[in-house]
Amino acid sequence: MNRTHDGMDWVLVCITLVLLGIGLVMVHSASSVISAQRFGDAFFYVKRQLLWALLGLGAMAWTANVDYHQWRRWAPHLIVVSFLFLTVVLIPGIGQNRGGSRAWLGIGSFGIQPSEFAKLALILFLAHNLEHNKGRLQSFWRGFLPPLAMALVVVGLIMLEPDLGQSVVIVGTAVLLLFAAGARLRHLGVLAGMGALGFAGLVAMAPYRMMRIVAFLDPWKDPLGKGYQIIQSLYALGSGGLLGLGLGNSHQKYLYLPEPQTDFVFSILGEELGFLGAAAVLALFASLVWRGYRTALYAPDAYGSLLSAGITGMIAVQILINVGVVTGSIPATGITLPFISFGGSSLTLMLTAVGILLNVSKQSVFPVR
Amino acid sequence: MQVTSRVIRRRVVTLLMLLLAAVGGLIARLAYIQVGQTQWLSGQAHNLWSRSIPVQGVRGTIFDSTGKPLVYTATAPSVLAVPAQVLDKGATATELAKVLQMPVDKIVASLQQHKAMVWISPGGRRITDTQAEAVRALHLSGIYITEEGKRTYPEGSLAAQVLGITGTDNQGITGIEKQYNSSLSGKPGYIEFYANAKGQRMPGTGEQYIPPINGNNIKLTINLQIQQFVEREIEQAVAEYHPDRVTAIVANPQTGAILAMANYPTFNPTHWRDYPPNTYNQNLAIWQTFEPGSTFKVVTLSAALQENKVNLTDKFYDPGYYEVAGHRIRCWKAGGHGSESFLNVVENSCNPGFIALGERLGKQTLFSYIKKFGFGTKTGIDLPGEGNGILFKLSKVGPLELATTSFGQGVSVTPIQQVMAMSAIANGGLLMKPYVMKEETNSVTGQVVQQTQPTVVRRVISSQTADLVRQTLESVVANGSGRSAYVDGYRVAGKTGTAQVAENGHYSNGHYIVSFMGMAPANNPRLVAYLAIDHPRPQNGVVFGGVIVAPIVGRILGDSLQYLQVPRSTQGQSKKFRYGDIPLYTMPSFVGMTIGDARRTAIESSAQIRTEVVGQGKYVIAQAPSPGTKVPYGQTIRLYLGGQVPQRPAVPPPVH
Repeated sequence: MNRTHDGMDWVLVCITLVLLGIGLVMVHSASSVISAQRFGDAFFYVKRQLLWALLGLGAMAWTANVDYHQWRRWAPHLIVVSFLFLTVVLIPGIGQNRGGSRAWLGIGSFGIQPSEFAKLALILFLAHNLEHNKGRLQSFWRGFLPPLAMALVVVGLIMLEPDLGQSVVIVGTAVLLLFAAGARLRHLGVLAGMGALGFAGLVAMAPYRMMRIVAFLDPWKDPLGKGYQIIQSLYALGSGGLLGLGLGNSHQKYLYLPEPQTDFVFSILGEELGFLGAAAVLALFASLVWRGYRTALYAPDAYGSLLSAGITGMIAVQILINVGVVTGSIPATGITLPFISFGGSSLTLMLTAVGILLNVSKQSVFPVR
Repeated sequence: MQVTSRVIRRRVVTLLMLLLAAVGGLIARLAYIQVGQTQWLSGQAHNLWSRSIPVQGVRGTIFDSTGKPLVYTATAPSVLAVPAQVLDKGATATELAKVLQMPVDKIVASLQQHKAMVWISPGGRRITDTQAEAVRALHLSGIYITEEGKRTYPEGSLAAQVLGITGTDNQGITGIEKQYNSSLSGKPGYIEFYANAKGQRMPGTGEQYIPPINGNNIKLTINLQIQQFVEREIEQAVAEYHPDRVTAIVANPQTGAILAMANYPTFNPTHWRDYPPNTYNQNLAIWQTFEPGSTFKVVTLSAALQENKVNLTDKFYDPGYYEVAGHRIRCWKAGGHGSESFLNVVENSCNPGFIALGERLGKQTLFSYIKKFGFGTKTGIDLPGEGNGILFKLSKVGPLELATTSFGQGVSVTPIQQVMAMSAIANGGLLMKPYVMKEETNSVTGQVVQQTQPTVVRRVISSQTADLVRQTLESVVANGSGRSAYVDGYRVAGKTGTAQVAENGHYSNGHYIVSFMGMAPANNPRLVAYLAIDHPRPQNGVVFGGVIVAPIVGRILGDSLQYLQVPRSTQGQSKKFRYGDIPLYTMPSFVGMTIGDARRTAIESSAQIRTEVVGQGKYVIAQAPSPGTKVPYGQTIRLYLGGQVPQRPAVPPPVH
């Protein structure tokens, strides 16, 4: 097979920048009404998002130039710092409670989410761990369970906030990573069975989660309560139609759709840009996933492969969950849409992660066409 | 290549395929929502975003049969604000305050109310057209000029219970206003706009004003002039007899059209809230049920004549009572009427005579006629709140019930039922469905939307029988108990009624409902009139229907027929002179005489006629009353003068 050293994946850079641009435009459009309503400034959210984007691009540029093998050394330290933050955020008075979850650290509106940071730290750690113990992976107790246990400890801390969305993403990412690393399907099956049991337990603990599931199955059963958000999202998408109402012309952002700039920004995107716009964004995401796994395929070593697969898996899981919720395809779970939704921690983290991916691609050897 | 690496690559490719398939699934789901369901979802979303503020149209006018307005909506422009649409409340209030000459803070307070719409009161209500133009010229968001209407009654309380009342939302509550509410109210218009979730106007979206469609006009069969005659007579009767209640109806027997309908106590519809609810909630003429008394004998008579159970010349002996099943039922006249013909029985309203007729008919036949005449069921008049009346159940009718029913006791009927039964006799035997709505017209184009056609319910008796009943009833007025209803030249036929009112299961002493049911002219009746007085308290103590009510109905019929320009006739039965009656004289013809001759003839006539001259000239060209009219002693005649002897006698203008 003829191979060549191809350098950094500029296609991935372009896709990322385009998505980031679309995100800034959509955050502004979706948030203008709520911004003006809350802060008397239609640009309140987009100005902050722009700052985070610049910060994130800086971080991306930095990580793209850091040899990804460095992360193997830093991973154990980062995971310890994550545990520290995840614990600190639970302390009332330090952690800020927004929308029912004590998930933010920081001053005023400039908050950061330790769970976002922990998510990346966990990927770095698991990639390292799985590569390091690859000989033992076929063993349930010595190979499969330790990395999983680590993930579950992180999830356990996040569930104390509680933040179901992040937890689901972390579990999903970890499972994808274990699958990619070559874990036995039988073990993954056992995990799935345990997961189902665990979920049943979580539902038993907090009944509102069950109500969210009910709302997903038939949102019109309780249109002003549990089904409200989904219905409003479907109204936005449905009234967008094939071509959309035009950029800036959403009606649902006029306080009908709650928090249109974060988890439900895709609804406003669908309303303003129509099916064609929304499908185009999904196509961009699909190419991003393709570029990420392509990097994993041609990474110079197993650690690089696993790191790329982990980061790509995380992005993919978030896209699927967010769009799944917005289209009423899965139960409501609060998670941001990568690169698009408003949210400093999420955006910075995503760009940082893409930077790592770019560094792997830089060292990969791709086949010549 | 390591084994692990190969595994990883295989797994990564699998993952890529799976995730791309999932993204593909989401795109398909999006297509279903955004293309497949877009119509339904955007419709739902439109309902969510749009706010409609209804704007009422102008309620239609109700006219009398000659086109005179009885109630109309007087409109004036008023300022209407939709607070959610007002973007800058302070600036809007300042601008409005200048035009409306109102304090700014008062307008701001109105604009801050959490209501779909508010009137700017008081400065913005019923403003001038100049002010309205000025407000329109300001082009303020959320500020509208609409026509605000108020029901206005040019004739005051006239026909109040027929017209009915309207509520604050311009909706008909009783009477015609309720019956034809949907026609009168028209279709409301809308101010439609997109609002955000807090009800504030969505910027960048337009507003739509769908103007209301004004209500249709309704023309009634009620004739203003005849209604006024009736109400005048009711007022006089109330002043004279201080009754509890009075009810009167005038109908056209040929069609079933109601020409007048009035009750006492009544109310002024402009201030209906100041009156006790039963005055505006109940229309006694169609709602009240009571024992009719002798007016009901008309039914027994008609049945007996139709079934050939009696010949009016047959003799009957009234000893003052009639024995039924061991009970002696007394005649109203102590000692009885003695030997009399059945014509006399009717004239005298002799109870034993009618019991005999009832027995000859039998309960099956009598009750079948009662039902055929429309008693016991609603007439179906186009007014809300009609009563049914109560009849004995046929299975429970024994000889005693049959006897009392035959002279109008133990049945309960409404005034409108009696009028329609009488109309059947008047029109040759057809029971008509009564109505008060003549036609509905579009208030803008004048086009007729619907028109009530006379409806025959059924044939009750043959036209020959009806003829015979009318002759008999004319004789009641000329010779019998109804003689005070006699109007000379207008052949009145009718029947009196006096019913004792049962209170707590017993007939009460002194509480009577006296009534008279009449028609004229008897040979071809144009009008049927009915009037009942509940609990009259006359000074001299006589409470028979013939004494109290018959003259009232006579005056109503006389005035109405004259107004309708029905010619007087000399064919009728002349009234028997009895002590106490004013003797009548026949008016001679003066037309063609010189004024001198005429005056001399008038003075020399046995009636000592006084003259009054209208116009100038040597000759009498017309006179009023016309020749042949029966006039009392000392009557004044009006002589119309002209230069020449007229070729043909001219018809004088009607005199009121």
